[in-house]
Amino acid sequence: MTQPFITARGANVFYGEKQALFDIDLDIEANKVTALIGPSGCGKSTFLRSINRMNDLIPICRFEGDLRIGGQDVYDPAVDVVALRAQVGMVFQKPNPFPKSIFENVAYGMRIHGMAKSKTEMADRVEWSLKGAGLWAEVADRLQEPGNSLSGGQQQRLCIARAIAVEPKVILMDEPCSALDPIATAVVEELIDGLRKDYTIVIVTHSMQQAARISQRTAFFHLGKLIEVDETKTVFTNPREEQTQNYITGRIG
Amino acid sequence: MEKTHIVGRFDKDLQKNKDRILAMGARVAAQLKRAGELLEDFDDDAADALIAADRQINGMHKDIHAHAERLIALRQPMALDLRQALSPINIAGELERIGDHAKSATKRARKLHDAQPSEKVLVLIRDMGAVVQEMLHGALEAYQAEDIEMAAHIRMRDLSVDELNRNVMAAALAAIKDDPATAEKNVHLIILARGIERVGDHVVNITRHVHQIVTGEDLKASE
Repeated sequence: MTQPFITARGANVFYGEKQALFDIDLDIEANKVTALIGPSGCGKSTFLRSINRMNDLIPICRFEGDLRIGGQDVYDPAVDVVALRAQVGMVFQKPNPFPKSIFENVAYGMRIHGMAKSKTEMADRVEWSLKGAGLWAEVADRLQEPGNSLSGGQQQRLCIARAIAVEPKVILMDEPCSALDPIATAVVEELIDGLRKDYTIVIVTHSMQQAARISQRTAFFHLGKLIEVDETKTVFTNPREEQTQNYITGRIG
Repeated sequence: MEKTHIVGRFDKDLQKNKDRILAMGARVAAQLKRAGELLEDFDDDAADALIAADRQINGMHKDIHAHAERLIALRQPMALDLRQALSPINIAGELERIGDHAKSATKRARKLHDAQPSEKVLVLIRDMGAVVQEMLHGALEAYQAEDIEMAAHIRMRDLSVDELNRNVMAAALAAIKDDPATAEKNVHLIILARGIERVGDHVVNITRHVHQIVTGEDLKASE
């Protein structure tokens, strides 16, 4: 394993009295896709959302432990959370374009962060982002149309374009294909595979086949604990832990 | 694995494919036994029947292949399930080759039965046949029970098959030197023994598949 880009040490997350994550130690490598799998309520989304402090939005949620991105302590009180979330983009389960034009959806984040000096530069960066998300060819002649006029798969790629526009280092994806049909899913999966050379990607998925297809490393969570993390090919062919095997093969006691 | 699948039908499909292998294995074992009997006491009609039955074994092989392929396509199994789903394809391949050897041995028995094979060599071949038959039964049992210790034990038995094969070679060569007129029948016996030795190897491969199903470890790669 190469030098990890994201490291969690003794990460615990509480929702009020209820503990959702227990002592998670996890290394996430740069330029790889890491899949987080496990049954509903296992803590995988909680872990994902603690990487860019999305859990801060839930008042009763509390994080303990150490979580670093590129060596920087994410939970250092001095951290600017808005800047952090630009560094750590997020794509959600349901595509959620802003009620604005396709162009504005992508330009929005760059405006907030003052990333373009001129209209030309903004147009160039919007084009670059849409190309990066594999959407440019489909929307180049309709950039002023509303983002939500696109198909579900296109909307999800628009959200990916919006995330990469602000040049993040990490992209978090929470079941990004669960609302898409198989063809749109395949297009997004192909895109994810292409994006990993420039970004570190962490994806939560309920589809084991998807995790197997697109990730290089897989972490299995169960009841708030990290049970096993290894190369994806090992986890899906010969996992070390019986709990992992029972989950991926769909077995019950 | 005591735990059953949430989708019960998946367990049934896996079990059915396993049963198909066991049925094919029983059929091949019977062919092997019959081939041994024909070597002792040749019968033209029985030999024809054995040769014809090999086609049915080839049909079972194809049938198992098709069922395993369907199961993999429909269920997309992983880990242990994937190995259990794939193993019928591999094991049926080994059984099919064992069936071919039983057929070849019978064809050779037809050529030998007028030639009065030397008793000494015949005894060695009889012993070889008995060991590989016992190995095949054991390998099928190990597969049924997913018992890797039993599988390992059977692999050890193959050493004695190899040794008996070397003894056949030595005895047949000595017989040829003694009386060059016996060269033809002794060459047949050498080839026959070589076929039985190959059966032993196919049985060993089956036991390796059993090991791989249970542990995920490929013995052929590590040995």
